Amino acid sequence: MNIKIRNTFAEITGASLAMIWMWLNLTDASIMTIQSVSQVLAQGIGGSIVLIIALHILFNILSSIVTGQYEEDIDDERDKIFELYALQVSSAIFGISIVAILVLIGWFDLAIITGLIAITFSGFIASIFSLLLKIYLYR
Amino acid sequence: MFKKKIRIENAVRKLRFNNDEMTQQQLAELVGVSRQTVVAIEKYKYTPSLDLAFKIALAFDMEIQEVFFINQ
Repeated sequence: MNIKIRNTFAEITGASLAMIWMWLNLTDASIMTIQSVSQVLAQGIGGSIVLIIALHILFNILSSIVTGQYEEDIDDERDKIFELYALQVSSAIFGISIVAILVLIGWFDLAIITGLIAITFSGFIASIFSLLLKIYLYR
Repeated sequence: MFKKKIRIENAVRKLRFNNDEMTQQQLAELVGVSRQTVVAIEKYKYTPSLDLAFKIALAFDMEIQEVFFINQ
């Protein structure tokens, strides 16, 4: 497993764990106030960033211990093209999700809290799909 | 005529071996890319930019057309 796939895998793990944590803390979202829901979402987003950084470090330390050598992460022109593909995929998924969520909120007269949660989760899902595409391209 | 898809091939693998069996990692460090990019170029899975193609040619001290060419 090369460093690119390893780092992308760390990002997927971090985002997935943050999503699971938010899901478990939002089981009573229907009776929660908008402040407490926003607090959980903000903590989830912040936590995912910290978790991704920690997993990056952990995965690279483990890899260095196993292989016995340091692998430098070079970002070249091919990586930038892959980043662009991933950005296009995540933008498309997030854009479609936003429109769908707004339509559903209007159609079924859903609460703002529902929209807030759905938009945050769609952002995470879009990010995970774009990371999966990167793993496919880096394979 | 120019709408026809062209396949750009290269002699990077052969040139590496002719240059004291240079490793992919050594070439990658020489031109400032990752080893995975050199692997992709050698397998014709990735066509490098003009900038990188020139750098690779310079690394072998050759003209760009001697390293990269069209296979029709």
